[in-house]
Amino acid sequence: TTHIESIREQPPRSEEEARRLWSHYDDMTRNLSISLTEQLRLILAPTLATKMRGDFRTGKRLNMKRIIPYIASQYKRDKIWMRRSIPSKRNYQIMLAVDDSKSMGESGSGQLAFETLALVANSLTMLEAGEISVVGFGNEVKVAHDFGRPFTNEAGAQIVQHFTFQQTGTNVRELVAQSIMLFREARSKNINAGTDLWQLELIISDGLCEDHDSIRRLVRQAQEERIMIVFVIIDALVKGQSIMNMSQAMFDSDGGGVRIERYLDGFPFQYYLIVGDVRELPGVLAQALRQWFSEVVESG
Amino acid sequence: MSDQTLSNSAGDTGDSASTSQVRIQLSTRHPDIALPENPGPILVNTNLRRYALSTLVNALLQSEKPIPFEFLINGTFLRTTLDQYLTANGISAEITLNVEYVRAIIPPVYLASF
Ligand SMILES: [Mg+2]
Repeated sequence: TTHIESIREQPPRSEEEARRLWSHYDDMTRNLSISLTEQLRLILAPTLATKMRGDFRTGKRLNMKRIIPYIASQYKRDKIWMRRSIPSKRNYQIMLAVDDSKSMGESGSGQLAFETLALVANSLTMLEAGEISVVGFGNEVKVAHDFGRPFTNEAGAQIVQHFTFQQTGTNVRELVAQSIMLFREARSKNINAGTDLWQLELIISDGLCEDHDSIRRLVRQAQEERIMIVFVIIDALVKGQSIMNMSQAMFDSDGGGVRIERYLDGFPFQYYLIVGDVRELPGVLAQALRQWFSEVVESG
Repeated sequence: MSDQTLSNSAGDTGDSASTSQVRIQLSTRHPDIALPENPGPILVNTNLRRYALSTLVNALLQSEKPIPFEFLINGTFLRTTLDQYLTANGISAEITLNVEYVRAIIPPVYLASF
């Protein structure tokens, strides 16, 4: 067996160490990656978006909503048929944002974050679905891998070098604000102009963040720009400290009374999932994405 | 790119004075004031002082008559805000802070108002 020292003891790591770590996580998650790829292939396949759409003079199926106007117009408004629309070619820009703050190292979530990163990045690469970018966040946001660059093992090792889980703050608000900017830039540079571009961000973090109101506003703004954010909470491996048991104390402004709420009840992300074991990830992630894609297809 | 996209800065969230937060794990060595069930980590604002923490423990104990408490972190009594404590001791708010509470022995000090 390979011995991988605890991540938190690592100062900025050497190239060699980073390569060794990446290949370790790569090996560990290989089978899971294949399983996730297969599930995502079904979800992302553009044929799923095929719908019957109106309004044509000839077609495959009658559009019932057009029948009454058709009769009322004395059979003049005769575009009453629907055809199977040709699925538009979609491409994706997917950003993986990994929490590099100290709380990740403290709880041992760092390892699980690397496993998640390897798993997701490798399956997306296998899918050839589009461009991948990786950013790290803590006190500040750093791009570890740009959109447009191919995701190779070498790239994986370089990404690992960026993460030490030592940052002394977790500024999720800044992450979301910066992500919106990065997505705008990537959208403008997108080589497949004219195709349907879908932008998705997966935040991989222990879920501990503050300033929920500002974050909620930014998440809404991202949504308006058709950027989907899914928050993958890597749950603490430390006994009794699961995020599901965590509460939050809120004081009245006069200091008189206090309310104690479940932390997750005020969590600012609409789409989040909690994972305690990387083996659960392909299943839950696929389920979350399936739900999102179907919502987007319907609203589009 | 439309004009709106250009003028609409995502970074602009207003300068809300956001207070930072820290997780605390409360415990006591005295069974008579122990919490009925371990509440797990609680996220609190770092601008809290002894008095607010005392309010919190009383709320968790659901005590009818509030008991004044004192708080110990790493063996020293908390005399400042949590934030000042963290800064003075070089501790980041990224860790869970173990906070022990005891009954306040000395009655709260009142500063004479002039
Ligand atoms: Mg953190």
